[in-house]
Amino acid sequence: MATRVRSFWRTPPGKIAWLAICLGSIVVLLGAWWYLTRPGGGISPLFLPPPDEVLDAFVRLLSRPYLGSTLGQHIAASLEVVMTGWLAAGLVGLPLGIAMGWWRKARWVAFPIFQVLRPVPPLAWIPLAIVWLGIGESARVFVVFIAAIVPWVMNSMQAVYSIDALLVSAALTLGANDRQILTRVVCRTALPTLVAGARISLGNAWTTLVAAELLAATSGLGYIALNASRTLEIGILLVAMAIIGVLGALFSVIMQLVTRIVAPWSRANAEGA
Amino acid sequence: MTTTKAHGPTAKMDIRGVSKTFDTRAGAVHALDRCDLAIREGEFVVVVGPSGCGKSTLMMIAAGLEAPSTGQILVDGKPAGPAGPQRTVVFQRFALFPSETVAQNIAFGLRVAGVDRAERARRVTEQLEFMRLSQFRDAYPHELSGGMQQRVAIARALVVRPEILLMDEPFGALDAQTRTVLQEEVARLSREMNYTVMFITHSVEEAVYLGDRVVVMSSRPGRIKKEIAIPRDAGWRRLDIEEASSEPGFIELKREIWALIRTEIVRQ
Repeated sequence: MATRVRSFWRTPPGKIAWLAICLGSIVVLLGAWWYLTRPGGGISPLFLPPPDEVLDAFVRLLSRPYLGSTLGQHIAASLEVVMTGWLAAGLVGLPLGIAMGWWRKARWVAFPIFQVLRPVPPLAWIPLAIVWLGIGESARVFVVFIAAIVPWVMNSMQAVYSIDALLVSAALTLGANDRQILTRVVCRTALPTLVAGARISLGNAWTTLVAAELLAATSGLGYIALNASRTLEIGILLVAMAIIGVLGALFSVIMQLVTRIVAPWSRANAEGA
Repeated sequence: MTTTKAHGPTAKMDIRGVSKTFDTRAGAVHALDRCDLAIREGEFVVVVGPSGCGKSTLMMIAAGLEAPSTGQILVDGKPAGPAGPQRTVVFQRFALFPSETVAQNIAFGLRVAGVDRAERARRVTEQLEFMRLSQFRDAYPHELSGGMQQRVAIARALVVRPEILLMDEPFGALDAQTRTVLQEEVARLSREMNYTVMFITHSVEEAVYLGDRVVVMSSRPGRIKKEIAIPRDAGWRRLDIEEASSEPGFIELKREIWALIRTEIVRQ
């Protein structure tokens, strides 16, 4: 029996088996949740309401506005800020990172700045953002921008910097000039890593946005969560958290799809699920 | 056996008095010392020598990827200048562009030179056929075996019609069987197309089988120690390498060259 169990975990599961495992773990989690929060289950619904109450809260959020906006509007508000901040960071960070990876002079000048910026948690910028920009959308965009630009620059730089020098030599002997090497060889070869940097950056942007909405917002998923905790509407709080999680996971999946589309040759595609 | 030195205006590529000193933390390292080597048009010159003798450095300098400390490289009597399609290189580690298909890799040199699309397609197709790669034209490098990848690299280097083809231990990263097949392939290429080739290897057998002339380098600092001409009409030329290597003349040459290298290794 023991050996059979072990061999089950050793062989990678097929698609259907994999789906079954996913569903299974979710069902087990929900079951445990329901069991512990049933009347007499040991956990007060004040701390953790049972699953059906959370579902009710979700339905309620869908059917009527909460804090002046519908759920869709709250989600849209969050998405708008995260996309604006993340794309603006990419507009600056992607070319800057590539330049820093390719020209060592650019690296010498700009790298120390990001070395210092990197350890500062993006949330530490919120007070400054509020002082500078007030409790508005621009403050949140600014904080998201800060959170997104650091991984975007650092990963892009690393992606370009770690290109095999032999490829550059090969391109040189085939007659390519510097511009052709940078665009046709370096950036194309680095593409999967560049997209991976964008993905990490988006993940950072998302978690930071939600945190920023806890402090400086009048709409958005983080704002819902904060208010629900003040009014002890734990069901709504959990719904907001679940949406944050699902959207974050969705971003990650989308960015993996992007890699597959822009770099169909990438080995990484063959490995990941 | 005759020893020849080909100098003068007939040289396709002329390596003249090339020395190279690397500055390292441990001090200056003399890699090459006044190397002279002239390669005639259509000649297949193989450079052999003990490992670390600087033969790869000599090739990087010949390719224009590395600057000599002294001396110069002439092509058709003129200073060769920086790296370019006049001297293409086949590297030991293939160096194919991972983001491009076989056909795109081969087309690279034509594309950066601005060759128009129709002409490009024609020449790439021709090259694919010539290297027997047609069925792989849309494959990506990582989908190919090492031997196939190196055939693509050779095709990519040839399609731009270089004045001279430089090959830096091109079969060093391949398994023995694949290596044999590619050695015979390159022998066929040089027979049919009469390319001018400078070929680096540490395999004496490979050198005798492929070369019109074998150049033996000394141990560091690398000098040209001896040049040995291999007769073009040698009896083993049309045999495969397995058979060729048991021909008496082949064995004799191999022994002679190996003895030269051995004294260099012992001297180190």
